[in-house]
Formats: sequence, C-alpha cells, structure tokens
Amino acid sequence: MTSYFIRRFLLIVPTFIGVTILVFAVTRLVPGGPIERMLQEAAMAGSDVAASTSGFAGHGASSLSDAQIDQLKAYYGFDKPVIVGYAEWLGKVVELDLGTSTRYSEPVWDTIKDRFPISIFYGVTTLILTYSVCIPLGIVKAIRHKTTFDNLTSAVVFFGYAIPGYVVAIALLTVFAGNLGWFPLSGFVSDDFDDLGTLGKVADVAYHAVLPLIAYLAGSFAVTTMLMKNSLMDNLAAEYVRTAIAKGMAFRRAVFAHAFRNSLVPIATSFGNNITLIVTGSFLIEQIFNIDGFGLLGWESLVERDYPVVMGILVISSLLFMVGNILSDICVALVDPRVKFGSGESSQ
Amino acid sequence: MIGTTLAPNPLTLKQWQRFKSIRRGYWSAIALGVALLLSAGAELLVNSRALVVSYQGEWHFPTYGDFIPGRTFGLDYDYETNYRDLKRTFSTRGAGDWVLMPPVPYDAFENDLKAGVYPPYAPSVASRHFLGTDTTGRDIVARLVYGFRLAFAFAAILLACNFAIGIAIGCAMGFWGGAFDLLFQRVIEILNNVPFLYVIMIVASVIVPGFWTLMAVMVFFGWTGMTWYMRTSTYKEKSREYVLAVRALGASSKRQIASHIIPNTISVIVTFIPFSIASGITALTAIDYLGFGLPPPTPSWGELLSQGTRHLWSPWIGGSVVVAMVLVLLMVTYVGEAVREAFDPKQFTYYE
Repeated sequence: MTSYFIRRFLLIVPTFIGVTILVFAVTRLVPGGPIERMLQEAAMAGSDVAASTSGFAGHGASSLSDAQIDQLKAYYGFDKPVIVGYAEWLGKVVELDLGTSTRYSEPVWDTIKDRFPISIFYGVTTLILTYSVCIPLGIVKAIRHKTTFDNLTSAVVFFGYAIPGYVVAIALLTVFAGNLGWFPLSGFVSDDFDDLGTLGKVADVAYHAVLPLIAYLAGSFAVTTMLMKNSLMDNLAAEYVRTAIAKGMAFRRAVFAHAFRNSLVPIATSFGNNITLIVTGSFLIEQIFNIDGFGLLGWESLVERDYPVVMGILVISSLLFMVGNILSDICVALVDPRVKFGSGESSQ
Repeated sequence: MIGTTLAPNPLTLKQWQRFKSIRRGYWSAIALGVALLLSAGAELLVNSRALVVSYQGEWHFPTYGDFIPGRTFGLDYDYETNYRDLKRTFSTRGAGDWVLMPPVPYDAFENDLKAGVYPPYAPSVASRHFLGTDTTGRDIVARLVYGFRLAFAFAAILLACNFAIGIAIGCAMGFWGGAFDLLFQRVIEILNNVPFLYVIMIVASVIVPGFWTLMAVMVFFGWTGMTWYMRTSTYKEKSREYVLAVRALGASSKRQIASHIIPNTISVIVTFIPFSIASGITALTAIDYLGFGLPPPTPSWGELLSQGTRHLWSPWIGGSVVVAMVLVLLMVTYVGEAVREAFDPKQFTYYE
C-alpha cells in the first residue's frame, strides 16, 4: 500500500505540469495581456495629462517607444514562445519563485500570502461547524427515520443541497444586509477595526462573518448530513447490528458502539478535500461579500489580467487539491482496514 | 435485464410506477414540463408584439415572422409597430379595430421608460410590469421567462454533448482498459484540476463569448464527470456473465457495448440527467453573474442577480430571480431524487 501512495504522489508531477501548461498557454495565446493593459493605462493617463495641461488630446499609443515595449515584454517574459516561457516559469516555480505581480509590482507569493488568514478563518470555521452539526444531525435523522423531525430537517437540508451557495449569499445579502440592515454589506472587518479592543475585534469579525458563513455552510451541510444519515442507516440494517440487537444489546449501545464507528468511513472519504476549501475559499461568495480572501484575489487578478498571480494561485490550489485527494484516500485506508489500495483496480 | 430499451418492459414499467409513487418528484416533473412548454411558446404569453390585430376588418397575427411596419395599420412610421400604443389609438378612435395583447405585453429587450422617473420601477399591475422592471426599464417577467428558456436550452445541449462524449470515451476506457484507459485517466485528472471558471474568464476577458463559445469551453471541461462513471460501470458490467456469454457467442466489441453494456448502464445515465441540468443552469448563471457569460442584452438570470446585488433597495429585482431560481432548482432536484430512487430502490430496515 505504501508503494501505491508513493505512486500517487509521483503522479502529481505530470498532472501538475498538464494543468499549469494548459492555463499558461491560454494566458499567452489570447491577446490583451498585461503589457497591453499597461499600455492602455499609460495611454489614458498620458492623454489626461495632455488634455489638462494644454487642452491638446495627445494620441497616447506612442507614449512608449517600441524598444521600451520590448524591454517591458522581456522583463515579464512575454517575448518568448509559449514553451520556452513555460519552461522558464516552471524552472522558477521549482525554486519556489512565483514571479512578480504585474499589478502590484511585488512578488506574487507576498500578494498571495496576505490573503491566507482570511480564507483560512472562513475555511476552518465552516469545517468545524459542518462536522459538529452534521454528524449529530445525521445520527438523529437516521434513528428517527421518517418521523416529523426527519422530514422537517430533510426539507431544510434539501433546500441547501439544491440551491447553490452563491444564490443563498445573494438572498441573504438582499434581505438581511440590504433591506433590514442587520448585518454589514461587505468586507471582513469594519474600517475602525484597529481602534477596537480585543473583545470588540472578535465581535466585529463575527458580525461580519455571519452571512458569508451561512452561505458557505448551505452547500456543505446537506451533503455531509445525508451522507452520515444514509451510511448509518445502511449499517443499522446490516446483519451484525441486527445480531447484536437480537442478542439483547441495548439499542443505544448498538448504535454507538457498532454502527456509528463503521458509518464514519464515508465521511472520511471527503475529509482530505477540506484542505482545498480551507485555503481557497469560494470565488463567488468572496466576490459577493467583498471578502478580501484567496478567491477574490483570483477574481481580481483575472479581471486585471495579472497573469503571474493567476498562475501562482493555480499552482497553490492545484497542488492542494491533489494532495487533498491523496489525503482522503489515506484517511479511508486508516479508518477502514478492509480497504486495500494498489491491488486489482489501482485507479479506483 | 438484457434489453432494457425504450420499449416498455416489466422493469421499465416498474421503475415508472415507482417514480410516479414518489409524489413530489412526479408533480415536480409535471410542473417543470408545463413550465418548459409555456416557455417554449413564450412569444404568445410575454411579448411586445400583439397576438391578434384586427384592422379595417383584416386580421393580422404579428407574433411570429417579420415585423409589420406601422404604416400597415395607418400609423406614420415604417419601423416596427408599437402595439401597446396601437391598442390605445384604436380604443380612443373606436372604429371597431382592436388589438389583443399577450398577458405581459413586453419583450425582454425593450426599455419601457417613463418620463421624469428613473428605473428600476417597482412592480405594478396597472402598468403590467407584474414583477417590476430592471435598472434599464426592461420587464422582469420577460427577462425571467426568456432567461429560463435560454438557460434550460443551454443546460440541455450541454448535457447532450457531455453525455455523448462521456459515454463514448467512458465505455471505451472501461472496455479496453490498458494504455487508452491510462492516457484518458491522466487527461481527466488534468481537466478536473483546472478551475474552469478561470479559463472562461480569461477567454471572456478577450472575446465576448457567444452561446456556442461558452458551450465549447464548458463541454471541454464538463465531459469528464460522466466519463468517469461510465468507465466504472462499463468495467463492472464487462466482467459479468452475460457479457462473457455474448462474447463467447462471437459478438463484436461494438455489439457487446452498444446492445448489451450500455442498456445495462442506463440507470447511471438516466440518474445523472436531472442533476446535470441543475448544474448546467447553476454554472451558466454563475458565469453570467460574474459578467463573463452571454453578452448583453441577452436575457439571463445571472445578469439579473448581479443587478439585484447592486440595487439592494429595489428588492423586486434580486427577489424575483432568487425565487425563480430556487423554484426551478428545487423542482429539478426533486425530479432527480425521484428518478434515483426509482432506479435504485434502497430499502432500509429501521427500528421502531
């Protein structure tokens, strides 16, 4: 089994190259890269200055000479063919250098690093809330299958399952932040955050976090709860639980000592994927609530065509995603001794 | 089980019975069917063109076909007739001419502006803007109905493409295995790892994507899901006795796959349809919401959503589209759950 996981880790390399080369090629092949954007800005600024000083609208396209443009292109590595550019980029990534942001003119890693704490805060809180509510809820729903409680909670859970998180986010924003004014419209903290006391800071973060957290939870809640419920019911119906009850074991004990432990296995299969959620957050929800996290950074750098940052985010998120998948499999192998990876169908 | 085709056999009948017995899925399917039929004929219900115009004893049906210039009805212009004005003109003139308008007399593109007041206008029965207008004075009912039709069509075509590719490649992977399987496993893993919103946004920041460009990008990244499931089920079916038997009888690979394996994996395929539709609608709306989807002024739910978040104090904009989305997605998911249960009836024993 160790050899299986080593092989899985080695397979990260070709996949990583495939993913990055695909996105790298797209960013290079489409016109309108960062250089063009800079030229545009320079042209606009130039014509503004010209217009305000002499009333003469200078044509700004020539504000940079061709030699200067070539210099800029060489500086950002846009002067080479895709493959050469990619090889150079990859060489730098291997040396843990993600390049320089064309928008902020600072190292990509510094730009990305600043956003981690916010995304991790939401990721970890969502994770804790999901597991601490969904597992007990799933157990109760399985034991009280088809009672009023089960049907009622199913309706709520189902709602969260069918409706994507960003629609929930927009609905919450419209009702509770916009029209009722109970919660702030956007941001991670208030503007006067630095002046608040410790308690005030905690309250401020929590106050801003309520709506985004509900939106984050809406999706993950449903899947985990139903997974817990269904797998516990499968186990309750299994022969070994029936035998235990037939032999006179108390129902509570049969559930918690036998069925519960086995039904945690499917939950473990998705555990490793949380690592991606924790760090990367959600593109759309961060955008809706204007939370300055990893997802919003990705969106902004795409809009601004800051491709070094886009590639940097891709590197981190794809690595995390792949490691998360392998971690999930390791979790499964750890909790379930029946699972044998690497024999027979190796790719399952 | 062999030959679970479209012809009703006992198993299909039983599955249909089970589907019907799941009330909310059954009724959702009916409601969705009605909604689709109505939206297919939306031009007759929500349109700025009149249904019938009776002018000087002659009847005109302007709904479909080329526009009828105003001069036809004795007006003084050559561009398309404004039927709402025409109706007013006819009724004040009272010469026996009349105009029959659809229930919602607006289309998805016209800006119905009032002098001196800026849109968005609140819902009003008097002006027949039953859900109000958006920020440029376009009727929200019209935007919703035409947006629904477009999103559903998009999701359906997307599903057809994804399933066609997914079933073909998935079956081949499961059936042949070996190098072909390994190669496509890597391809799928790579495509799964590329955040497809990124690619769509990069592409969309350069060219304004049309319906088919968006479709192409989404198919490019979307076929992998179905492929993976088909691969697994083909792999399972391939080693079962009935396939071994037909192979022993000399059936070709094509025949084994087409007339034996695929019919037996039909439950996987059918179960995925409703969920794929839901995710197609969700994805298109998300891209439109971010402003990288279908070009304006295409009626789109995502565009309405983004207007809603920018105009929180006009809650009828965001409110109507959120409610519409919730209703449609809930119904689609109810149908999906019912289909899944009909094909895979899991009987639980539980303790009283």
